[in-house]
Amino acid sequence: MKLKTFTQHIAIALSLILVATGVLAAPLSYQLRVDGLSCPFCAYGIEKKLGAIEGVQSVETNLKDGVVIVTMQDGATLDEAMAKKAVKEAGFSLRKLEPVQSVSEGGRTQ
Amino acid sequence: MKTVIKVGLSTLCVWAGAAWSAPITFNTALPVHEGGYVLREQFMYMKIADDPTPAQRDMQVSGVMSVLGYGVTSDFALFGMLPWFDKRLDMNMGGQNITRQKSGVGDLTLFGRYTAYQYDAPGRTLRIAPFLGVKTPTGEDNARDGFGRLPSPVQPGSGSWDALGGAVVTYQTLDFEIDGQLSYKANREANSFQAGDVAELDASLQYRLWPGSLGSGVPAFLYGVLEANLVHSAKDDSGGIADPNSGGTTLFLSPGLQYVTRRWIVEAGVQIPVIQHLNGTALKNNYVLSTGVRINF
Repeated sequence: MKLKTFTQHIAIALSLILVATGVLAAPLSYQLRVDGLSCPFCAYGIEKKLGAIEGVQSVETNLKDGVVIVTMQDGATLDEAMAKKAVKEAGFSLRKLEPVQSVSEGGRTQ
Repeated sequence: MKTVIKVGLSTLCVWAGAAWSAPITFNTALPVHEGGYVLREQFMYMKIADDPTPAQRDMQVSGVMSVLGYGVTSDFALFGMLPWFDKRLDMNMGGQNITRQKSGVGDLTLFGRYTAYQYDAPGRTLRIAPFLGVKTPTGEDNARDGFGRLPSPVQPGSGSWDALGGAVVTYQTLDFEIDGQLSYKANREANSFQAGDVAELDASLQYRLWPGSLGSGVPAFLYGVLEANLVHSAKDDSGGIADPNSGGTTLFLSPGLQYVTRRWIVEAGVQIPVIQHLNGTALKNNYVLSTGVRINF
């Protein structure tokens, strides 16, 4: 009985460790609120500029909300000054940058 | 005739400044991203006729305007515009119908545009950008046929160095865009001929027809476009004498459609003269058809 309980505890602990490891290994994403972004043709420049920053894995724009989601490669972080510079070079203004839960390739939040 | 053709071609030249989801017939203040390019190819057909004289002049111009824009910085962009024209003039001379025509590369125009004012807010932007440029005499201006030297309007180039400048204001939201432009082109003399200066006031409204409501991501837009161009041309000067059959004012209205994606735009429009106050026996502009593509890279 005790052995069974101990085994269950070990299994639960291992599961928690695996989940925690998965979360820690998930790529970091950032939500950028960009002012002035108001047409599809303008989105290309901002995606190109942000995508050129070292460590950026993907860039997705949501035109309606004026939001750009930047997902980083494993272990990489996005420097706010660099993001601001990239947005400025694209011809727009960065209002706010904040880390968000990353989105897996399957589209689910991890 | 020179005046109307000059007005028409001047309008066509200004068209080339636009490179975004923007007016079809003139410039915009929207940005070219730093280090980025925009390429525009515009195909046009223009008919100029209604000659009140026995010569019954009828002119048709078809052409391609190639425009390359480069973002030096996010605020400053350089543009080069190079037209190719196929011009044909039919007329009656001494009871005989004759045709004079010429095709070739026209004059290269270079200009810079600087964003002097920029206000950005969520989903909208307001920008004001002055621009200044020069038209270079790269097109052939001394072409001849069996009747002798072709008249200036049929020549692919003007032969003169001309200056142009102005300012454009753009207000863009997710639903619509409004642009306004004031420009002036100062023409200089070449081959004992000096075209009159051209002043132009333009306005454009682009309204998103589709999609009705925006979803996520970057959806393509279909814009309905309505533009107005008020063009005033001074009298030409030939051999030091002002031509009484040149100069005048024309108001064009231009409906059109634009389909805008992240990387490219296709568009079409027709420029219709609704008011023409022209001096003397100048030919009237019938219409200008235009279709084109713009590519972001």
